[in-house]
Amino acid sequence: MQLVSGARMAASNLVDFEEVSYLYPGAAVPAVQNLSLNIRQNQRYALIGRNGCGKTTFFHLINGLYKPQKGVIRWKENPLKYDRRSLNQLRQQIGLVFQNPEHQLVATTVEEDISYGLCNLGLPESEIASKVQQALLDFDLSDLADAPVNFLSLGQKKRISIADVMVLQPQLILLDEPGAYLDPHQVRNFQKILISIQKKGSTIVLSSHDLDFVEAWADWVFVMDEGRVVLEGSPGTVFSETEKLNELGLGLPLIYDLMNSRSDLDGNPANLNPFNEFRQRIRDRFWSGEKS
Amino acid sequence: MQLQIDFLSHSNRLRHLPSEQKLLFSAVLFCLSTAAPAAFQILIGIWISVWIVGYAKIPAAVYLKLLAIPMVFLLLSLPALILGFSWTSNLESIRTDILWGFSSGNVFIYCSLKGLQQSSFLLIRSLVLSSCAFFLLLTIPFTDIIRSLRKYGCPVLITELLTLMYRFIYVLTDTAGQLLIAQQVRVGYRNWKTGIRSIGIVTSQLLLQTFTNYRMISLGLNSRGYTGEVKVWSLSRSKSQPRYTIEAIVGSLLIAIGIGCSYGCK
Repeated sequence: MQLVSGARMAASNLVDFEEVSYLYPGAAVPAVQNLSLNIRQNQRYALIGRNGCGKTTFFHLINGLYKPQKGVIRWKENPLKYDRRSLNQLRQQIGLVFQNPEHQLVATTVEEDISYGLCNLGLPESEIASKVQQALLDFDLSDLADAPVNFLSLGQKKRISIADVMVLQPQLILLDEPGAYLDPHQVRNFQKILISIQKKGSTIVLSSHDLDFVEAWADWVFVMDEGRVVLEGSPGTVFSETEKLNELGLGLPLIYDLMNSRSDLDGNPANLNPFNEFRQRIRDRFWSGEKS
Repeated sequence: MQLQIDFLSHSNRLRHLPSEQKLLFSAVLFCLSTAAPAAFQILIGIWISVWIVGYAKIPAAVYLKLLAIPMVFLLLSLPALILGFSWTSNLESIRTDILWGFSSGNVFIYCSLKGLQQSSFLLIRSLVLSSCAFFLLLTIPFTDIIRSLRKYGCPVLITELLTLMYRFIYVLTDTAGQLLIAQQVRVGYRNWKTGIRSIGIVTSQLLLQTFTNYRMISLGLNSRGYTGEVKVWSLSRSKSQPRYTIEAIVGSLLIAIGIGCSYGCK
């Protein structure tokens, strides 16, 4: 099953990819090929797929870091322009959190690094100060405000890199493997922040290997393989495609695994009710911020 | 050692004294040392060591190790200053300068008295000036030095370069550290031969990985709207302490007066 993105076309599309291909210099196979998809405003998108399927390249393409050799990328229905001024304007509206935080930290201390994007926006100093202080609190970084980023652990650096982008409250937030390097407590904390940011009206696209989290959090799931979107839809639709997902080596969220393991259910919808109720309870608990 | 200096500069007891005051204090002592006679230089050397080890609580072993670095270079240059060569026929003209010597054929090799005085003077001055420089390095974090440079109008190009270089030093050392660990766990340094081979691999891989990291950090900068200048905000946490300010001013004045008097007496 493959739903076509065009069917979801709406006036409030933030990003449109039309037959986009990108080949890294010297590579034999394109990292992204003939990719078409839309990202609508104020939605939660999850991108899943095996390593090397093109997720990171996709994020870099949206952010204008790479220019596709083929196809068109539109931001609010206007094709991306690749001159420095247009790109800087674009990046004020699209925040990207890299998978490896080392690649994103530019300043010398934690608070300086968080303030970097705010200073680029030309905000008044008092506003920068209050936003930085709030971000330090939100991400449990207050004790490290004056610490040099070079002395911190990868998990701490990851939190800073997420705070760097979240503090800007961009219209679109791209998170490349946000859970990488974070301990379970920090993951839960981050998920709470993710919920509050999204409630403020930001659109979020994240890539993740945590299918239980994706199932509970996302409105829409893209499944990528070899640079293409091979499956997309609501979590319920995508995770019902057991065969396809197993073929791609992705597996299923735990609740779907449980459902599939019960051969006595005979596919009777009535038999699935307890599972659906349980699934809903997981989602409710997640959204109430109790537990991921 | 680079990393240890950086760590100590962030954790020392004088960390939160205003950077400008520490810079000024170090600069004043630096100037006084260049003008002072040997006795006052020794006094300045002892005093700055008290500041470093006593007040800033920098471990004495680390401080001595740091001082040993310029000492090695100095000791290497000492033979050229102390040893003298002359023809045995010219011995009369250098008699007062000979401390000890011996002849080898027509050549007389000797230890020069003037050379010895010069080298001891040079040794003291180098150690004292190095101490002033280490006071800066050990008590002011590099980040604060960059901040002060920005504050006092240093060209953006220089502060940007310093910031990025500082960042890259860590990226480079982290990469090298990871490569070395990866080799050690696979017995890459079992003997001299495998060790040399492993070092060769680290060197070539370091270059490649540095280029990869450089490319990714460039992307990171661009994604965060880099405009050619790293503009940042930070809360000032420095706080002046009268006890240190008074000691620095009074001590420097006394040394300056002492130096002035010593020249006046001559």
